[in-house]
Amino acid sequence: MNIVAAIGRVFLSFLESTGRLAIFAGISITHIVRPPFYPRLLLRQIVEIGYYSLPVIGLTAVFTGMVLALQSYTGFARFNAEGAVATVVVLSITRELAPVLTGLMVAGRIGAAMAAEIVTMRVTEQIDALSTLATNPYKYLIAPRLLAGLIMLPCCVLVADIIGVFGGYLVAVHKLGFNPAVYLKNSWQFLELIDVISGLVKAGVFGFLIALMGCYHGFYSKGGAQGVGSATTNAVVSASILILGCNYLITEAFFSQ
Amino acid sequence: MNGRPVKIALRGLTKSFGKKRVLKDLDLDVFEGESIAVIGASGTGKSVLLKNIVGIMTPDSGSIKIDGEEVAGLTGNARDRVNRKLGMLFQGAALFDSLPLWENVGFGLMSAHGVSRADARVAAIDRLRQVGLDADTADRFPADISAGAQKRVGLARAIATEPEILFFDEPTTGIDPIMGDVIDNLIVKSVKELGATALTITHDMESARRIADRIAMIHDGKIVWVGDVGKIDASGNEFVDQFINGRVDGPMSAALLGTPAA
Repeated sequence: MNIVAAIGRVFLSFLESTGRLAIFAGISITHIVRPPFYPRLLLRQIVEIGYYSLPVIGLTAVFTGMVLALQSYTGFARFNAEGAVATVVVLSITRELAPVLTGLMVAGRIGAAMAAEIVTMRVTEQIDALSTLATNPYKYLIAPRLLAGLIMLPCCVLVADIIGVFGGYLVAVHKLGFNPAVYLKNSWQFLELIDVISGLVKAGVFGFLIALMGCYHGFYSKGGAQGVGSATTNAVVSASILILGCNYLITEAFFSQ
Repeated sequence: MNGRPVKIALRGLTKSFGKKRVLKDLDLDVFEGESIAVIGASGTGKSVLLKNIVGIMTPDSGSIKIDGEEVAGLTGNARDRVNRKLGMLFQGAALFDSLPLWENVGFGLMSAHGVSRADARVAAIDRLRQVGLDADTADRFPADISAGAQKRVGLARAIATEPEILFFDEPTTGIDPIMGDVIDNLIVKSVKELGATALTITHDMESARRIADRIAMIHDGKIVWVGDVGKIDASGNEFVDQFINGRVDGPMSAALLGTPAA
């Protein structure tokens, strides 16, 4: 009986959290499209999410492209298919690795920072102060972050696509002895627009989810050192799981036959 | 009170957190232009009362009227419209730590009153001067100044939009007695200059005597005494007597210490 009650409590708690998240997201989205707007805050978040994430995204992409070229070569060499390395690298990077790894890296960097900042504002009554200054916290704090995530992740993924393919090129040409012109030709020849577009759509969804999880867990967490820790952990973990889950769903939507 | 209209009217205000009832059918009138202090021990519902009036919390039941308009449960633009009449100094100042001091002070002007950044900066520096801070502090950040200075900036922010009603939440908590006196004097000066109605939450009796025209005592979620500040020492109310004399023994002991009343 106690086990059933415990399962029931967990299930009800899950439903409550899901409902609260849905309401939070719904309210936030309405504030994205309704004036007044805060372009300065949006710009600040764009710089924070996009510009300051570029080093970590670039390093992730270049090493991923390099490893992918090396692994593909050693694997494909077993059945004399080394010529497919360029195609495998470009398709893997644009369709999957750039959006997913960029999403996970930005979730770790930005999701945690957003949650920590907002929960600190909650604890120090800064969010209450916004209300007393006739300023809606959803509009001022949440909407610019969601919009910036939605806009900037695709831009970051586009950069990661280029750097990742370049990483593969470096290893293929300088270590594995591929002809540069042939490698680039093979990369372009089998790349279709849908490969890049699907990655950018994923990135937009991931960017929104990262910002949503960061803001939500910051907004509703309890105060204190433990509260800040829980908020950041929950923001990163939930965003990462949602990224991986949504990645499958979007891939299915784009490429399922 | 001297025929003045009621600015804030609270009737039957009730607020619970789980099974704990913090406010219990609380009634209070605040008259236009007066300064009232609500005193009471920690955990008796002072801050909850204030947060319900300014819309940070919503009461479970009861009525909150400001200028005769029911504001309990108002949200969105309707709440923002009411809040444009208000200014509030928070216990910890609650300054926006990502903004320089002048932007903190000018925030309400820019965000809710449509004032340009240039004009808001001029107005903010003027307000900072009014609370005794130099113009060269305008570009500093809250983390760069002392707790007392943060309270001053919080006060400057509260009065920047020239609100009709000012709320002060524990204005002297966390600062030394001399700075507390300075803050109290600034509050009195600001309230008089604006001709505002003021409601202060405090457990500092010295501060309450300096700031208020009237004092209300809250205990166990209800107002147990209201009267002019000059009459508090002869209130004849056992709760007030215990509180202002800081005695352990008295009617509040059971609730505060978990021991039977003496």
